[in-house]
Amino acid sequence: MNVFLRELRAHRTALIFWCIGMFAMVGSGMGKYAAYESSGTSVNTLVRQLPRAVQIILGMGSFDLSKAIGFYGVLYLYLIVMATIHAAVLGAEIISKEERDRTSEFLFAKPVPRTKVITAKLLAALANMIVLNLVTLVSSIWVVDYYNKGGRPVTGDIVALMAGMFFLQLIFLSIGMSIAAIRKKPKSAASIATAVLLATFILSVAIDINNKLEFLKYLTPFKYFDAQDILPDGRLDLGYVALSGGIIIVLLAVTYRFYAKRDLSI
Amino acid sequence: MNIIETKNLTKYYGKSLGIIDVNLSVAEGEIFGFIGPNGAGKSTTIRTLLGLIYPTGGSATIFGKDIIKFGPEIKEEVGYLPSEVFYYDDMKVIDLLKYSGSFYKRDRSVIDKRIKELAGIMDLDLTKKIDDLSYGNKKKVGIVQGLLHQPKLIILDEPTGGLDPLMQQKFFDLLKEENEKGVTILFSSHILSEVQKLCDRVAIIKEGRIIKVQRISDLIEKNYKRFKLQTAAKAEPENISIDGVSDLKIEGTTVSFLYKGPINEITKKLASLDLTDLWAEEPDLEEIFLHYYQKED
Repeated sequence: MNVFLRELRAHRTALIFWCIGMFAMVGSGMGKYAAYESSGTSVNTLVRQLPRAVQIILGMGSFDLSKAIGFYGVLYLYLIVMATIHAAVLGAEIISKEERDRTSEFLFAKPVPRTKVITAKLLAALANMIVLNLVTLVSSIWVVDYYNKGGRPVTGDIVALMAGMFFLQLIFLSIGMSIAAIRKKPKSAASIATAVLLATFILSVAIDINNKLEFLKYLTPFKYFDAQDILPDGRLDLGYVALSGGIIIVLLAVTYRFYAKRDLSI
Repeated sequence: MNIIETKNLTKYYGKSLGIIDVNLSVAEGEIFGFIGPNGAGKSTTIRTLLGLIYPTGGSATIFGKDIIKFGPEIKEEVGYLPSEVFYYDDMKVIDLLKYSGSFYKRDRSVIDKRIKELAGIMDLDLTKKIDDLSYGNKKKVGIVQGLLHQPKLIILDEPTGGLDPLMQQKFFDLLKEENEKGVTILFSSHILSEVQKLCDRVAIIKEGRIIKVQRISDLIEKNYKRFKLQTAAKAEPENISIDGVSDLKIEGTTVSFLYKGPINEITKKLASLDLTDLWAEEPDLEEIFLHYYQKED
């Protein structure tokens, strides 16, 4: 409990800034929708004139951009990038910082097993991620609903998207944690985790651009919960949910196992 | 029962050497010195005992319990002061100490009282932020942190760095007080005078191996004498060199050496010299220690 509370306190300020950032992202992103809409031009026509690759890189895909929820589908890509960066760095740092700040010698001379410390840190990170997810969920529902004049209700869709985002957060949290647990050099854990994130993100864009790469889609979590797949019926693909669960369990097992067995770098 | 017992404890870092076949036994209520130059393996041994790193060979027990299987249980009764202290910079001293105390299955009020008591003795301001503390003051936090749960075994790794002599004295008094209550202390240092002041027995470690374990009193009193002579004429080494003489220095008519052995042998030898003056003194540990290292080289 003490380590859990300590971690909550240590990450409190950062979390507040992330939440503000997320809220600002949702607000300003949907603000653009209002601007397009009031200008009277058809956003869809405008966007369709762009080269396909540009459309994909901007995440515009096949959304109906004249609807608030369609526009939000584009914005979702940016939200998950933010949330996964938060998760990956949080996961890597929450484990590695004891060694980086050289407090591991203090902490692990206490009567506490390493596995228990991992559990406390995992729970604290989860709490942080849940708060960020809920803030995104509430601000998304609020803002999208505000612009969604007369369209069909959006809450269900947004809840499904946020559920997808939560799985992505969990995956990248466990990627960050497992890297920090394996690596003896604590300073590099967060940068490796973000490099993995970047690589998988680029892969997901490459798959969108080139259909021949479709078979690689299992390698990048960003393809698991694509807004284009979720939005039509507001459901997550259960196969990908199971795959995500498997990845998370394996990575957490790696985290516990390696961190408990290796020498701490002091 | 021995409080600490190691059996051929070995630690390699990759291929490079940590410690080899360390055999130690520290009895209950003892102040045990652990001495050797920097990099000899003192910290490696201690960190292995504490489960911060894992041995590559051998085994060890503390309170009769295996250090790997029962790590957390053992640490309930161990207080540790590392050689370099690092704490959470954003915390206040009092918060850090309470955090430290929160890991032990002890009554909070007893711990809080002990924190105040120790901070009083060590003259430590509890309201300051860790980040704003000088090195010496951080060390004091370390001392309080190591003692606040009234452990049965205190492990100190080069504990006096950064403490001024007055604080050192207070700290040593504190340790002696704890020791009188039956607390066992493992005291690692490269400064011999500290060990000499405090310890009952000492293990000497060099390049990862224990060279010798001896009572401090044996080291100092029984075996070694430091001789200084003033001779009438220039002395020749062969007039003095017998078994047991070491560290022989001759500068004109001034001769000095360490001697270990039957005292009659050396006085017979000296009787053959034309002396103008003679001193026979207790060598300090520093000299003996230096001698050990020179002999081994």
